[in-house]
Amino acid sequence: MSPLVSIDWLVLTPALAPAVGAVLVLLVDALLPRGVPPRWAPPLGALLLVVGAATALRGSVGATGAPLRTLCLPAPDGACLWTAGPTESTLQAGVLLAAAAALALLHDAETASRDRVVTTMLVLSASAGGVAVAAARDLGAWLVALELATVPVVALLALRGTRRSGHGALTLLVTSLASFALLVLGAALWSTATGDAAFLAEGAQGAWADETTRPVLVLAVAVLVAGIGFKLSLVPFHAWTPQAYSTADLGTATFLATASKLAALGALVVVVRALVGTGAEGVLLPLAVVAPASMLLGNVVALRQDDPTRLLAWSTVAQAGWVALPLVVVTEEGIRASAAYVLVYATATVVAFAAVTRAGSATLDGFRGLVRRDPLAGGALALALLVLAGLPPGVVGLVAKVVALRPVVDERLWGLVAVAVVAVVLGIAVYLRWLALLVARPQPDDATPDASQDVPPAPMRPTRSVLVLGTLVLVVTSALPHALLGLLA
Amino acid sequence: MVVSLLLGVPAAVGLWLVTGGRMLPARAARAVTAAATGSALVLAVVLAVMRTGVDRPWLPDLGVRWSFGVDGISVPLVLLTASVGVLLAAHAWVDLPQGGTPATFLGCLLLVEAGALATFTARDAVLFFVAFELVLVPMWVLVSRYGDPRDARARADAAHRFVLYTAVGSTLMLVGILVLVGAAGTSDLGELVAVGSTLPAGTQLLAAALMTAGLAVKVPVFPVHTWLPPAHTIAPTAGSVLLAAVLLKMGTYGLVRLPVATLPDAFARLSPLLAVLGVVGIVWGGLVCLVERDLKRLIAYSSVGHMGFVVLALAAGSETGLQAALFANIAHGVVSALLFVLVGGLKQRWGSVDLTVPRPALRETSPRLGFVLVLGLAATLGLPGLAGFWGEFLAVYAAVDPAADRPRALFVGCAVAAAAGAALAAAYALRVARVVWVGDRPDPDVTPTPDTVGIERVVLGALAASVVVLGVLPMTVLSVTADTVARLGGAR
Repeated sequence: MSPLVSIDWLVLTPALAPAVGAVLVLLVDALLPRGVPPRWAPPLGALLLVVGAATALRGSVGATGAPLRTLCLPAPDGACLWTAGPTESTLQAGVLLAAAAALALLHDAETASRDRVVTTMLVLSASAGGVAVAAARDLGAWLVALELATVPVVALLALRGTRRSGHGALTLLVTSLASFALLVLGAALWSTATGDAAFLAEGAQGAWADETTRPVLVLAVAVLVAGIGFKLSLVPFHAWTPQAYSTADLGTATFLATASKLAALGALVVVVRALVGTGAEGVLLPLAVVAPASMLLGNVVALRQDDPTRLLAWSTVAQAGWVALPLVVVTEEGIRASAAYVLVYATATVVAFAAVTRAGSATLDGFRGLVRRDPLAGGALALALLVLAGLPPGVVGLVAKVVALRPVVDERLWGLVAVAVVAVVLGIAVYLRWLALLVARPQPDDATPDASQDVPPAPMRPTRSVLVLGTLVLVVTSALPHALLGLLA
Repeated sequence: MVVSLLLGVPAAVGLWLVTGGRMLPARAARAVTAAATGSALVLAVVLAVMRTGVDRPWLPDLGVRWSFGVDGISVPLVLLTASVGVLLAAHAWVDLPQGGTPATFLGCLLLVEAGALATFTARDAVLFFVAFELVLVPMWVLVSRYGDPRDARARADAAHRFVLYTAVGSTLMLVGILVLVGAAGTSDLGELVAVGSTLPAGTQLLAAALMTAGLAVKVPVFPVHTWLPPAHTIAPTAGSVLLAAVLLKMGTYGLVRLPVATLPDAFARLSPLLAVLGVVGIVWGGLVCLVERDLKRLIAYSSVGHMGFVVLALAAGSETGLQAALFANIAHGVVSALLFVLVGGLKQRWGSVDLTVPRPALRETSPRLGFVLVLGLAATLGLPGLAGFWGEFLAVYAAVDPAADRPRALFVGCAVAAAAGAALAAAYALRVARVVWVGDRPDPDVTPTPDTVGIERVVLGALAASVVVLGVLPMTVLSVTADTVARLGGAR
């Protein structure tokens, strides 16, 4: 152990497991003889991700609730470069589990076998970045980790090799470059304002107190919010989302919709936490504009989508607004509410994507009567949509909305509350439209009503396990929402 | 324990019927449903006597507890819901609508029953909200899948309108609850009664206004009632009965539990507006009923009028008013259940219940149906001796003599208008009686309407008997609610 920086390897495992895994997968592939089919890679990757998630959850269920720290400088300064409290740890576990689910869906996709190793490696690297960003406290690590969480996904998109996916990858690349530029600028401004290369409350407090640095701090946070807004798909930085989702295969779209969003929120939480209790809360005002705009625009456009992937993309935009909503109130309670919301959203979205993978239809109309044709996919999708809409029996979705709304109501931000009420109703309309098709009877004039029943669904065991496990999580947390909320505090 | 079973049995059986057991044949599904609703009724009676509850942490971060129990206000509603559940389970032998498997249909009925029971027994404001939302999806399935088979678009439209309107209302109510809970620091309904009046006046008014506006959609109060007629008309008979007899009561119960009980002063400031809207609902519902052609829609509009009386009574703010509202609630539940079962039966026999189609007189072709129709109409117009009378009479009485902090002149005006509305009810009830009961001469070519037999007769008989019992012995309900009402009145 180095005398300069103390390292606790167990604390670092959530990030190390996928990072080491990425290297390991490439190594094994190089060492194995040419003839071996590379179907081993995704399961190995998923295993490492789950191991990482298990170690991350150590920080959530630990009895003390004290944050896990490592990479600490020696006292008296004693700053730690890796700090993961219960909220961050749970977000990290979420990133890893969502990535494992995405990997399972990718495993079932019709990929050329030579791509499996690369796919696994890319997912693992992106997850390592997503995990690290939530615990990073210094600007450099934060920036690198956030980019590491994004860039491999561009490659995942491009790997598909079609013309459309090339376009999608290009859009995502341009978007993430723009976002990176903003983030670097924001970080530089933050560093200028606070005179500190870390996201720490003391620095923000000092910068806010000083008349000369105050405008710089305001600008820094605005630019950072814009940069993360790209990753979180907040309006007006959302335009890449539907295109990327619809050109990617469903596994990649799942990763973008869930693991990437969890990582982006992890990054945002680092910034917000540095502002809690500093008196500088007002600098997060930009969020109070983009959050309601996302909730409204996302739902309104989702109402008119006929492609399930595009609908889920616009639903992501709307839900991202809900995720950002409680952060407007810069408190620990708001951070926890936001994390709870994003975890519920991610679980439901994983289940929805898994069900779409299994149903294999590119139009909403193809889902007609799915509950009857394929009770597992249909039932799971129905529950996921109800959770996203916030209607019982998807109680956990309703509780997430209550939790997200509560700090906003407590702060008496009536404009936001009014938008939220409208967004609840619009959201219900969006998801009920799909749900109505799921439970509808098959068309009477359908020429081949039984054709779909005769063809048994492809086995797709990994997808099925994701469906079953995800649904189980939704059911358990709907009965006992504290099982999820309790992890965050 | 008893409460947990009361909520758990219909919920678990209902969930099983819509998931694992949805392919169950009709015969088995009916038996299972009958057993579940029957045991729920037994448990409800036991609960009404023992008054036990359950209380454990549920969402410790929000301070929300898993707390269910009953008091004088909820006991009649719990019993009403459980009884309606048994009658609807029996009614499944009479009419099982097409549109999906019988098990799914019955499962949804059970889920609505479970949600309503949870709403009436919740002792925590946030839990109340969750339970309030619980009925939406199963009711949506009932209307959109099992509703009137003739028009798919109308079904989807009515079901969506029901869910979206109610969602607007319940979200407003949630905001109100969050304002109240945030200021009071507790979400326990019992503690809120004590703490509510000590809050700043502005907060009180805001929370009360939000909750009242939200619940007004469910009741429904006049300008936001437009979801009700299509939903009641399109829904299958059992769905209409649940909507009228149980779901509307959740709105009025919520008004009593939340703004009236916890924030009486703020509610007093809102009450003039609410009274006026209630009276407008009475008159508007009566006027529409005078010209409405579809008998089922007519009954639905008459509900708007009846709920207007409940709202007026609540707004009056006196103990009499509260008693009147609670009684009128139960009475309307029984009377509307009776009428919807009856009209559903007529629709099944005739294919439609258009009043302009000449039909043979009901009194001649099927005297038992005719008798029940006349009984139901008489109860609707508030004939003394039947259930409808006491609620409306006491409501008008309470409006003439409102609580001290209400503007008296306005309430007396409302009372006069409400009485005029009751006259309208007499007019439309007689119109229906003339068209359907007196009818045209029996035409030899037309097959006469078959009369009630078997289980339908039992269901109608039980409802008709309750209408008479409530009319003759109103104290059966009033004495149960009296204590709790007095306590609420004393809290002011």
